[in-house]
This record gives sequence, C-alpha cells and structure tokens, in this order.
Amino acid sequence: MNMNLLLVGINHRTAPVEVRERMNIQESRLAAAVSDLAHREGILEGMIMSTCNRVELVTNAREDAEATPIVRTFLAEYHHCELAAFEPHFYWLRQRDAVRHLFRVASSLDSMILGEPQVLGQVKEAYATARKVGALNGVLGEIVSHSLAVARRVRRETAIGSSAVSVSYAAVELAKKIFGSLRGKTILVIGAGKMSELAAKHLLASGASAIFVSNRTYERAQELARAFHGTAVRFDELFGAISRADVVISSTGAPHFVIAKDLAQKLLAARRNRPILLVDIAVPRDIEPAVNELDNAFVYDIDDLEAVVEANRRERQREAAQAEKIIEEELVRLERRLSTRELAPTIVAIEEHLNRIRESEFERFSGRLSSLTPDQRQAVEALARGIQNKILRGPLLELKGGADRPEHGNIVRLMRRIFGVGE
Amino acid sequence: MNRDAVMLWSAVALYGLGLALTVPSTWRRRPTLTRGTLGALAAGLTLHFGFLVSRAAEIHRLPITDVRSALSSFTFLATLAFFLVYLRYRIGALGLFMLPLVFLLTLLSALRAGKTFESPAFRSGWLVVHIGSILIGYVGFFLTFVAALMYLIRSSELKSKNLGAFYFRLPPLDACDQLYYRSLILGLPFLSLGIIMGFVYASRTWTGPWELDPKILASMVTWLIYLVLFATRLGGTWGGRRSAAMAIFGFAAVLATFLGISLWSGLHGYFPKLGGSP
Repeated sequence: MNMNLLLVGINHRTAPVEVRERMNIQESRLAAAVSDLAHREGILEGMIMSTCNRVELVTNAREDAEATPIVRTFLAEYHHCELAAFEPHFYWLRQRDAVRHLFRVASSLDSMILGEPQVLGQVKEAYATARKVGALNGVLGEIVSHSLAVARRVRRETAIGSSAVSVSYAAVELAKKIFGSLRGKTILVIGAGKMSELAAKHLLASGASAIFVSNRTYERAQELARAFHGTAVRFDELFGAISRADVVISSTGAPHFVIAKDLAQKLLAARRNRPILLVDIAVPRDIEPAVNELDNAFVYDIDDLEAVVEANRRERQREAAQAEKIIEEELVRLERRLSTRELAPTIVAIEEHLNRIRESEFERFSGRLSSLTPDQRQAVEALARGIQNKILRGPLLELKGGADRPEHGNIVRLMRRIFGVGE
Repeated sequence: MNRDAVMLWSAVALYGLGLALTVPSTWRRRPTLTRGTLGALAAGLTLHFGFLVSRAAEIHRLPITDVRSALSSFTFLATLAFFLVYLRYRIGALGLFMLPLVFLLTLLSALRAGKTFESPAFRSGWLVVHIGSILIGYVGFFLTFVAALMYLIRSSELKSKNLGAFYFRLPPLDACDQLYYRSLILGLPFLSLGIIMGFVYASRTWTGPWELDPKILASMVTWLIYLVLFATRLGGTWGGRRSAAMAIFGFAAVLATFLGISLWSGLHGYFPKLGGSP
C-alpha cells in the first residue's frame, strides 16, 4: 500500500483574509479542481478543502514521486499567479504531520473558534466531493474517513463543543443548567431587538414555546409571534404572561425597571416557587438586580452573559488539551492498522521474490549441476533454501514482532525497499 | 480471616477504589462515570451482598439487628440506590457526593466487627420490619440529602455567577429537584411505617416510659423535619434553597439518630448490658 502524503495549506492564523480569498477555490469549481489535481502524473489521490478560514490540499503521491512541485504547479496554474509571493503563508506537512493536521482540523482544534461544529461538515463535504470524482480510493480516503471518526470521538469524549461561546447561546445554556430540557418550557420575550430575537430563536430550537410582549405596540408583538410561531400578549397583561414563563428575555427601551423586586416576589409565589430564569439584555436594565436575591429567581444581565461566554472559552481551552491526547492516540491506532494490513502481503512478496531468485539461479546452473546424483542435487537445493531462510529470519522477525510500535509502518516500507519488492 | 471478613474487606476496598476512580472522571468533566468505576462498585456491591447473605444464613434472619449489621445493610442499600439512580439520571457527580459516606460507613461497619449480641427479641418479625423499613427510609433521605447538596451548590453558583468548578459537572437544577422530591416521597412512607411498627412492638412488649428513650425522641424529630419538607414542597411555599438547607439538616438528624444515639440509648443501644427491658 502506498503512502506518500503531502498536505499544503493556509489558514486564518498563517494568512490574512486577502491571501485566503486569493487562494480560495470556489465550491462550484471544487470537483473539477480535485479531479485535475488527483489525475496529475505521480499523484494517486487528492482532496481539497476550501472555506473562508482555510484552504487545504492533501495528496497521496506515488512512492517514487515528489508531490511538492506538482502541487506548486497546480496552485500556480489554478490561480494564475506566481506562488512565490504567497509562499510564507503556506505550511507544508508530510506523512504523520499531515495526518495529524487533518485530524486536528476535523476535530475543530485548528478553528478560529475552538470546537465550533461547522468545520466537521466542511471536511465531510470535501471528502464527499473528492470521492465523487474518484480521487480518494486508497489510503488517503481511509485516512480522511478516519479523521471524521476521530472528530466524533473528540466530541463524544471531551466537552470541547458543549459550552456556549456566544452571548445568545449562553442564555440557552443557562436555561439548560436550570431546567435540563427546554421541552415544554415557555419563553417570554419582552420588547424586541436583534439579540433577544436570536436568543429566543435558539431557545425555541431546543423545544420551548414562546410568548411575545411589546411595550410599544401590540402589532409589533403580533409580528414577532407570527415569525416564531408563538403567541402575542398585550403589555397590560404582562404579569399573567410572566407567571406562565420559565425563561424571560427582556430588552425593552424602558427607562425604568419592568420587573421590580416586589413584582418578582408575587410572581414567584404565583409560580409556587418553581425556578425562573430572567435574562436582561436591555441597557438601561429592565429587571431590578435585587430580584436575583430571591430564592428560585436567576437574573442575568448582559455583562453576566459575557462572563459566562468567557468562562466557557477558557473551558474549551482546557478541553482542547484532552482532545490533543485523543488525536495522538488515534494517530498510533491508524498507523498500526495500516501497517498490520501491509504486513502479510509484504512477507509473502519478500518470500516469493527470494524464491524466484533461487529458482532462476538453479536454472542458470542447471547445465553444470546435471552431473549430480538425485541425492546430491537434493542436498544442494536444501543448502540454497537453508541460506535463504537463515538470511530472511532476522528481517521477518523484525516485521512480525514490531506491529505495536508506531514506527512499524516505516519498517515495513523500508523492508520493501531493501528487498526490492514494489507495490 | 474467615470468608465473611474477606468478602466484607474486599467490598470496602472496591468501594474505595470506585470512589478514587470517580475523582479523575469528575475532574476531567466526563458527564458519565467510566466503566472501571462502575465495575469496581458493582464488584464491591456483589461481595457486600455475599457477605450479608452469609451473615443472614448464620443468624437465621436479616442482618440488621445490631449496629454493625444495620450499618452494613444501610451502605449496601445505599450503593444499590446509587446504581439505580445513576442508571436513571446518568449523573456522574453522584459518585462524588454519595460514595465518600458509603465508603466511610462500610469501613466503620467492618472495623466494628465483634461478637453480635443475641436476644430473643430479635426473633420478632415486627422488629425486622421496624428496622428494615427505617433503613430503607434512611437510604431515601440519603438521596434527598445528596440531591439537596447538589441543588444548593448549583443554585448558589448560578446566583453568584461565579462559574467555578461545578458549573460544568453538576446536573441541571430541575434534575436535582426531581431527585430530591422522588427520594423524599420514597423515604417518608418507609420511615413512617418503621416508626409505627416500633410503636406497636414497644407497646406490646416494653414496660415503663419507653416513649422517653432518646432514640425514639430523636426519630420523632427527624420524622417531623421530613414531614415539614414534604408539606412545604407540596404547597410550594418554600423556595428551593430553604428546602435544600432543611434537607441537609434533616440528614444530619438521621445520622445522629442512626449512629449517635445508639451509643447511649438504653432500649435501642443494641448493646446487651444497657438493654434494660425484656
């Protein structure tokens, strides 16, 4: 099996947006581009991933081919430019480093927002496109597909993607820390605004239902209710609506508190002390801060939400360290899998190769050996076989015994080269 | 060491191992416990069960009629409850909150190994039901206590907005509350039944002012605490933090009744010399 990997890429860390957009490969032209790359002389497989944050090209070249000039030519031709100008922005990774990078990208460890989930979908798409044009039907295909599994494992075993890193998601996260599931819960949105609509949208996506109240016009509330499949309530019926709500998002432009402490007290009594989350994204604030002192009322203003996001970011950093460990584990596992699969055919190939040499040598000396008695002839044959086996013993032991070591794949390849047995 | 002691001490060791293993998995914010942790606990539970069965065979009744056995049975039931609750709610942090006490009390029950004292009174079926249902009630209140503890930490963290160590590890407030309520309505009927059984038994067999026995008085206080918790919860009159604080106090009363008072209670002392009445 052939593995001569090269990964060339730029990302948000190595290149500014002007360079990234210059090197971007449009989605509509991606299939043609991959096909072009993978069918160049010396290249066996290829995949291209191109998003706003990164462009990555991976190739698996023939054992005896050097992929660097081929990829360089491809990029220069595709973008009609001198690649030298962009040279410092590119990273060139080979073999293990290339695989590791693929794993890290798919697991969202290389993303601008650590742990963001979209990148996995982008890798999947790149994989599907390359497969469709027949550019991924060997080891590289297997490696990319393994990287998807690694990404899923990272999601499953670490909390890298589980905490909110935007203010509107932070509201959802807090609601979940209180209620667990949002199914069957009621959201009350007071006032309108981009942020409150966004938060409401996320909450509704988690299975809650919504009531809308506007402090200005009833029509505005109705409009929102239509957009989010909720119900609209008049401002003077606010109290009745709040006592039904489990989460309140308030963002009115009112100059005074919409929910003061005494109102909240009545409210909690009416709710028979079931907990309530009050999210205040208005400036000046809508909810009296002292409400937070009441049992079962949890008040979060915009600064508190920012603090949640900040804590979550730090949390993701910590989880990333765990994810890196998983990636190293998976690297070893993949290499072991690939090398053990190579092992049996390699041993057979080496043995057959030496058998052929032995037989052809007998052929060559057949004239001079014809005078031997059958016994003597057998002895000579046994002698030749004995020498062959003794020479092979060390190398075969090394091949069979080292399957657990990470460098085993290299040893298998080295043996093939030493004995001159190709693919 | 005889076979029983080996089983019990192995169970203690396995509980300790399970406890030790929950620490890293909680620390590393795994939402669930590892297979190793659960395996160690399950093995410990099995050996513990074996020990109790063997004891029961030896004394021809449920091993709950002396302090050591009662303690041992309690921790066995508590570990069993841990498994059931864990399987239902998948709260990894439960291990961290339940297992220390389970481990300590099992250790205590193993350390206090000694001769069991015999009394014909223990042959009474009433007594076995009395102690048995009180033990089940206590296990329920242990869960209530753990749920209340998690609730308080979760709630104060959400209130203070200081998202520290437990923010990522504890179950949602609602789950704590659910566990709190369910364990309360499990514990209360069993405690009530146990107390009533005790009254029936005492009024039939004991003479003198047995109502003034310290353990009986303490039990009544404990029972009242949980009755109040149940009533306020039904009526929704108390906020979560207040109920949780009371539940923690209530479990302190349970421990005091269960362990503390046994040491000097006359009729409930489990000790031969002090048991004045028949």
